Amino acid sequence: MELFLLSIVNGLIQGGFFALFAVGLVLIFGVMGVVNFAHGELVMVGAFTIWLLHAQYGLSYIPAIMVAIVLVTVIGLLMERFLFRPTRADPLAGLICSIGVLFILQVVATLIGGDGPSKQVPPPYQGTLVLFEFLRIPYQRVFSLIISVSALGSLWFFLTRSKFGWALRAVAQDREAAALQGINTNRISIIAIGVGAALAGLAGGLVAPLTNINPHMGHNVIITAFIVTIVGGVGSLSGAVLAAVLYAMFHTFMTVYFGGTVATICGLILMVVVLIVKPTGLMGVRISE
Amino acid sequence: MGISRRDFVRTTTAAGALVVSSGLPSRVFAAGQKTVKVGMNIPMTGDYAPWGLPGLYGCQIIADDINAAGGVNIGDDNYAIEIVSYDHAYDLEKAVQGYKKMVSEDDVKMVMMLGGSTVGAIAKWAERKKMLTTTLLCSDITPDTPNLIATCESHPLYNVTGVEWLAKHHPEVKTAAIVTNNDAEYGLQSTATYQAAFEVAGIEVVDVNLHGFDVTDFAPIVSSVLAKKPDVFCMATSFYVTPLMEQLYHQGFKGKIISCTLDYYDEIIAKTSKEFVEGTIFQFPDFDDPKLNESGINFPNPGDFDAKFRKSHPNDWSAVAWEYPAILLNWIEGAKQAGTVEPQAVSATLRSNKNPAFIFGGGKWWGKDLWGQDNVVVGRWPVVVVKDGKARIQEYGSVSGWLDKHAGVLTKYMKSHGLRTV
Amino acid sequence: MNNTSTLTVQNVVIGVILLAALLAVPHFLKLYHQDLLIYLTINVLAVCSYRLVTLTGEWSLIHAVMMGVGAYTASLLFIHFGLDMWFTLPLAGGVAALVAALLCFPLLRMTQFYFLIGSFAAGEAIRLTWIEFVGVFGGTGGLTGVEPPIFWGIDFIDPIPYYYLSLAIVSFSLFILYRIENSRVGLTLHAIHWKAALAESVGVDAWRYRALAFIVGSFFVGVAGALKVHYLGSVSPNQASIGFMVFILIWVIVGGYNKFYGPIIGVVVLTVFDESIRSFEVMRPAIYGIVLILSILFLPLGLESIPGKIKSWFGVGPAPQDPPLTDQ
Repeated sequence: MELFLLSIVNGLIQGGFFALFAVGLVLIFGVMGVVNFAHGELVMVGAFTIWLLHAQYGLSYIPAIMVAIVLVTVIGLLMERFLFRPTRADPLAGLICSIGVLFILQVVATLIGGDGPSKQVPPPYQGTLVLFEFLRIPYQRVFSLIISVSALGSLWFFLTRSKFGWALRAVAQDREAAALQGINTNRISIIAIGVGAALAGLAGGLVAPLTNINPHMGHNVIITAFIVTIVGGVGSLSGAVLAAVLYAMFHTFMTVYFGGTVATICGLILMVVVLIVKPTGLMGVRISE
Repeated sequence: MGISRRDFVRTTTAAGALVVSSGLPSRVFAAGQKTVKVGMNIPMTGDYAPWGLPGLYGCQIIADDINAAGGVNIGDDNYAIEIVSYDHAYDLEKAVQGYKKMVSEDDVKMVMMLGGSTVGAIAKWAERKKMLTTTLLCSDITPDTPNLIATCESHPLYNVTGVEWLAKHHPEVKTAAIVTNNDAEYGLQSTATYQAAFEVAGIEVVDVNLHGFDVTDFAPIVSSVLAKKPDVFCMATSFYVTPLMEQLYHQGFKGKIISCTLDYYDEIIAKTSKEFVEGTIFQFPDFDDPKLNESGINFPNPGDFDAKFRKSHPNDWSAVAWEYPAILLNWIEGAKQAGTVEPQAVSATLRSNKNPAFIFGGGKWWGKDLWGQDNVVVGRWPVVVVKDGKARIQEYGSVSGWLDKHAGVLTKYMKSHGLRTV
Repeated sequence: MNNTSTLTVQNVVIGVILLAALLAVPHFLKLYHQDLLIYLTINVLAVCSYRLVTLTGEWSLIHAVMMGVGAYTASLLFIHFGLDMWFTLPLAGGVAALVAALLCFPLLRMTQFYFLIGSFAAGEAIRLTWIEFVGVFGGTGGLTGVEPPIFWGIDFIDPIPYYYLSLAIVSFSLFILYRIENSRVGLTLHAIHWKAALAESVGVDAWRYRALAFIVGSFFVGVAGALKVHYLGSVSPNQASIGFMVFILIWVIVGGYNKFYGPIIGVVVLTVFDESIRSFEVMRPAIYGIVLILSILFLPLGLESIPGKIKSWFGVGPAPQDPPLTDQ
């Protein structure tokens, strides 16, 4: 029972983190129709920035996160302008380009940090929140959870309440129809990738003190993001958030009771099953206006 | 600001740039002096780099010392030592490429490797070419590899000494849990050994949690293990000691911690606390340890070596920093006795020595019972404990003594994990 | 559509020169480069078999794993039953084809993006199975100790005999692949790609043809995997990772996937290029990444289209068309 409660808390924290980068991937796919294979590397760049600025050069944690977000956003915008926009007619070309970016970002990280052992960032928030003797959550994780929930909340607010959000969802549903209605799809693409990349940068910043940082850490991230995206429904943001939390719970409990590799295998099988049974995912129902 | 690993990083990148770099000794060669090349086919980049690169630094220190003192006399010739290194980044294809290059193009007389699948990958070719190869993992030895030897580290056998010491000094300890990565070469070998050692010591293993290399969050793993309420948390030979220690710290673990390695333990202290890391048991000493100056230690001036190493590579000391050098020194002794540097002769001379010189003393050839070939030297091995934030040898356990009595238990657990035994 | 080769004097002369060059080249190389030449030869089979799978316009991400299936099959047969390469090679292909046949049922229900991701997930699941079941597959360390045969007194562990052997096997496989593509089946595959609706309307069962391409492609990459493991001596899950899959993709795309010989040009040119930038070590993946992006942006038909482009600049021959990789 105690383990059960603790696993729920662990699952929630993981879920918040999964949601941050999966939502970005979904946003980019929904609006631009391109699978950004380098999305995991955007998270990696965020984490590396924290390692470099915070752990190495002593910049405070929060400003370091800000820098990470800005840096990753800029990378995302450059990708949109120079890679995804010219190859828009051809989704596979965009994907291949993003693989090119993946290689480049990994090498840049290696050049800056070295290809030695994984890097560690000492947690800026030391100590543990003791709810009960069996339910202890490090402050660093509490912080992660709060930030990811507020970031996702703001995103939801932006998408449902603002004009841009409305336009963005319109483009995600039908690019041509949206263009006919006078929506500037280029501008919407920029916003989509900007927001998606910013969330990836934030995710990297939050995960940096909690995990091993190395140039190849994006690999696990992208696998998780794919699973979450497929299970949630391609193009559905709320589906992605829901799937992120559910998948995190699933993975946490599988890890606790059956072990980590089994958890990942089952996750992948789950994804294939969803692809067969309900390719639109949990929430990926096409709504026609 | 905290502990930096920038120095490691810088040197690592440099090493990566020189694919086949030759550590040329910085001296003028004496007239008539020959050069003998020794290969190091090791990981210098990637996650395995801490178990390769520091060894290269160590060997260069030893080689420079020997060359500066005029080289070494083997047979009728005087030789300078040259280290030829190749970074295989723990990739099988690269390991084979590097090995073949060293042997066929650079004409090395002995190749040092980390071990595991990279050794498995080169083994057949190496035997056909009759090349002498050393490994740190004695579980690599097979009946078909007479020229593959482990003369220094005998992973995972020596881990029994830590458990023996723990049981003797903390008799209140009754249960243990093992958490490590699920690779066959490090994680499982080590797990089987710890299980055997715990059984012999009368400590019950309440959980064995083997995880993959894709774990990003160790919180659920540690939670599920701590739910079994073990007195001892054993990390076996884990690549994830730092994040595991961090989770143990946050989840309020109060018991004993035992591990094969505790590389960069100052970094772990930075992520947790000095009090928490205090008392952690592992197997790899720092070389400024006073207990290394006792008689019976076969390593010239350990303190001097430690100082030189930390001066040139301040943050790179790891478990292997002194191991490859110890193997190199051992090989030089073998070559002197054989009177030649030819691989077959040195191999035969080393293996026919009934009392092989072992770094911590008491060495004898072993391995036939488990792997079909007496090609590993076992002897005394240090039990190291963190005291006041510093790794200190507590005592030397006897690996050979334990094996004489309990090798059968070890075989049982090796088999239970599907690991190869004879 | 390609013209089927005709036996003109010109073609015969080119063929003889090419063959002589292929037979002569290892004698000018050192051991290290001889090894690379063997891997290159095997990779040619990997890319050409991948091209067959992509003929219908669907790009899979499981091909590298299928090569691993072949390599693991050959290793297990060699280690446990002592089977020689002559037997493990076809069996490895057969097992890869069988796995592909089973995967057809879930995977080929998907198309486009879904097929891409679905094939990736299936491949990862297979790869993680190798890691999880240590007793059978050796875990992350994989399987070692596989050997090439000694036959007619020739020890195939030496690079030159093994190169000739792989050259023969790969050439034979390429011949079959080429015949398939230029048969009625191949024409139907092309039709499914470019005129899916039309093909369906004249009664072509697209699913069956896609399945056929997937299974046959997997058979040959399985053979390639077995060929590799018998020389390298070992196989690990890492070799079948998404990293190698990406390289197959790059070779095919940079070479050009519209012509049979495009992927061959891609893998040869990029392997030579990769060796020539060896001194940049850490930088190599980034240089690769840049080449990849540039070729997608500026040479979407691949290297094989360069001669055609040059011809059209000089007004001798039509400009190559730029069809998209996938059709919307």
